[in-house]
Amino acid sequence: MSRLRYIAKRVALSVPVVWLGTTMTWAIIYLGPIDPATRLLSEGQTQNPAAYEAARTQLGLDQPPLQHYFDWMGSLLTFDLGQTWLLYQGSDVNALILDFLPRTLWLGFWSVLIAVCIGVPLGFYAGMRSNTASDYVASMGGIVWRAMPNFWLGIMLLAVLGSSQAIFGFDWQSLWIELDALTGSPDLSRLHTVEGFLAATKKVLPAAIVLGSASMGNEMRIGRTAVLEVRNEDYVDLARAKGVSERALVWKHIFRNALIPLVPIITSEAFLLIGGSVLVETVFSINGIGLLFFNAATQGDLPLVGTLMYVFILLIVGVNLLQDVLYTVIDPRVGLEGA
Amino acid sequence: MAGAHGPSSDAADDEVTPETASTILPTESPTLVWVGLGAGLLAFEVGALATFLVAILSDTLAAASLPGVGFVEGIEAAARQLPTLLSRETVPNEGYWNGQRWVGTFLGLRPEVAWGIRVALVYLYALAVAGWAVLGYRLYRREYRAADWTPRDDVIDRFRNHGWGLFGLAVVFMFVVMAVFAPALGPTTVDKNMRNSYDNELTYWDAETDSVETILVGEANLASQSRGDGEERVGPMEYDDFGRFHPFGTLPTGRDLFTFIAVGSRISLVIGLLSVGLSVGVATSLALIGAYYKGRVDLGMVLVSDGVMAMPQLLLLIMLTTVLKDTWVAGLYSGAFLLALIFAFTGWTYMWRSLRGPALQVSERQWIDAAKSFGQRPRTIMRQHMLPYITGYLLIYGSMTLGGAIIAIAGLSFLGLGVSPPTPEWGRAVNLGQEYVDTGSWHISLIPGLLITLVVTGFNALGDGIRDAIDPRSDAAGSDADDGAAAGRGGGA
Repeated sequence: MSRLRYIAKRVALSVPVVWLGTTMTWAIIYLGPIDPATRLLSEGQTQNPAAYEAARTQLGLDQPPLQHYFDWMGSLLTFDLGQTWLLYQGSDVNALILDFLPRTLWLGFWSVLIAVCIGVPLGFYAGMRSNTASDYVASMGGIVWRAMPNFWLGIMLLAVLGSSQAIFGFDWQSLWIELDALTGSPDLSRLHTVEGFLAATKKVLPAAIVLGSASMGNEMRIGRTAVLEVRNEDYVDLARAKGVSERALVWKHIFRNALIPLVPIITSEAFLLIGGSVLVETVFSINGIGLLFFNAATQGDLPLVGTLMYVFILLIVGVNLLQDVLYTVIDPRVGLEGA
Repeated sequence: MAGAHGPSSDAADDEVTPETASTILPTESPTLVWVGLGAGLLAFEVGALATFLVAILSDTLAAASLPGVGFVEGIEAAARQLPTLLSRETVPNEGYWNGQRWVGTFLGLRPEVAWGIRVALVYLYALAVAGWAVLGYRLYRREYRAADWTPRDDVIDRFRNHGWGLFGLAVVFMFVVMAVFAPALGPTTVDKNMRNSYDNELTYWDAETDSVETILVGEANLASQSRGDGEERVGPMEYDDFGRFHPFGTLPTGRDLFTFIAVGSRISLVIGLLSVGLSVGVATSLALIGAYYKGRVDLGMVLVSDGVMAMPQLLLLIMLTTVLKDTWVAGLYSGAFLLALIFAFTGWTYMWRSLRGPALQVSERQWIDAAKSFGQRPRTIMRQHMLPYITGYLLIYGSMTLGGAIIAIAGLSFLGLGVSPPTPEWGRAVNLGQEYVDTGSWHISLIPGLLITLVVTGFNALGDGIRDAIDPRSDAAGSDADDGAAAGRGGGA
């Protein structure tokens, strides 16, 4: 029961967070120094008062600001997101997001999975063998890996994969499954077939590795220190004295407890993933929602920028809630302490 | 490193008795010697310092379109006349081969050697300044400080034995020196090579006609572009056809990459320091206020910071730079000032999150209650009884956030946002070289990226070192998890 109460409390707390974030977005876009209506019009049209007035009316800017604010929030709340102005002119924003979001989610899914599957075991390995040569190599690698800028790593990885024939003796593009090009969007329409699934996975794999690089380094570091700390706990000594087998000790007593500090790290990577998706999608030219946001911002479609920001806020708050739920599963003490 | 805060002003008042006479300087008045050394070191660079200060002033005036620009420009010209030892004029590396020997370079040496000597001199000078500061601190510790020992001495001693932290310090030192001495380090200048390349001439030895010719720098650049393999590139440590030496090769536009990077490091450092300084200020005051008043004030801050954090940092950066790019603030220092402000606005939340825990802990201590019962004002309690206990965390997170800021700035300029184009920035070099990575001109993207990685690793290592020095028991999961939040990677750039 208290677990449910705890989760209900987190949900209630996330409402003002969404509201605050969205309000700030609205203030930046509509109260900021740029008139969104002018940015939407071309050079010639800005001289035309009729076109300008029409754009203002359509954006609702002729209303008093507060009225506009409530209208805007209301339409976001009901997911009545309207049409785009400049980017993919006149298309339905809902449809656009539904078209672009899956590619980003697919990319994000693989980058989280790869980061967790490589970073955590490597960190645990280093922690179990602390202060040995392999620990130092793994730790050093994690630190440097974490410091590399995503966009640069992406460019380098593409260059290496592009000439993989000369470097590794096999051609990445035709290995296992033939890809039409190294970069570009994955084809998600054939995910249900084995071949389509593999092709889509292989397509985003380099991008996912790059996007997950920072998380991988972080998870490794935290995993290492967590294992080190748990290993020195009294209950581990007690379990050993009781005669618990080494295997059960490692898996049941050490690893499960060491996972606790990792949960917030893994979920807080969501921030990095969504932010990083802009750069990685640019480098790998994946038509995801990050690239859509960037294009909307640079081309001046500010209403779309605001709408997308709302989607990002929902995504992040959702991931945070997921983290709280995960927490109660992994560490049953959470929620009982009134935390 | 703890800076030198020797009370040099009241040096003359102090009677140095034989018992307390210094053992590090064989003289009766070590402070005078120390001050003299400092003055001597400063004299080498007084011209550069004056030029730099006046240039900042005139930039600010021009950007804010205030009167007095002409007057300040007059001072700037005068400041340039002051002699400077480590300048390109004293040790020139730009010259030409006249068929028999190099003309115009330092002592007639080859340009690469002349340039190498200048770089070595700059770093020697910087080392000397650092040594002078350390000397001053030790002098202060032995001669003037009342206490024989303070806890801070232990922190410094622990840091001195922390190899990883020292590595970080060394990298950060190299980076800072590069940023500070950027105009003297490059083989050429931004003005001559990039901004006004068609207003400057270049003398060179034409091998075909066997004679000395002159050419506009801009045209020479066109002929020394790096856009492919073999003849179409000028790689690292190579000369172009005009006898110009390029330590890191050239850009696709034929401009010098090393000059670009050296000047770019300056803007990265300025943005980084400014933004971290601002967000440290905001985060500290909020953390102290929240920890002191607790309850609703604290809850309100949690909500606001969660609201800011719910917008992914890099996307918020992109949105704000787009919205604010036509304002007058964006004109200050090629947009660097605006970027720093935006970074501070988006970044304080991460820092605040990491400071909140320690601040709350301190606020539970008994001496806070005692101070309250004495009737001390809240501001005084926060400043005197709480702040000292969280300054250590500030250093740690500040160092780590700086690394993140450098990555994020580079990421933004990679996307073509942030620092406006003629001003060099590392991320833009990566972007320019993107097309040529798999050709012979790989250096354009590779070198800036490696440098970013190195510098960010250095800042993180410095942060680790300071953390271990301040709190040797902190090598635990809890504090590391905090780092994760503070040492954000610039929002995933």
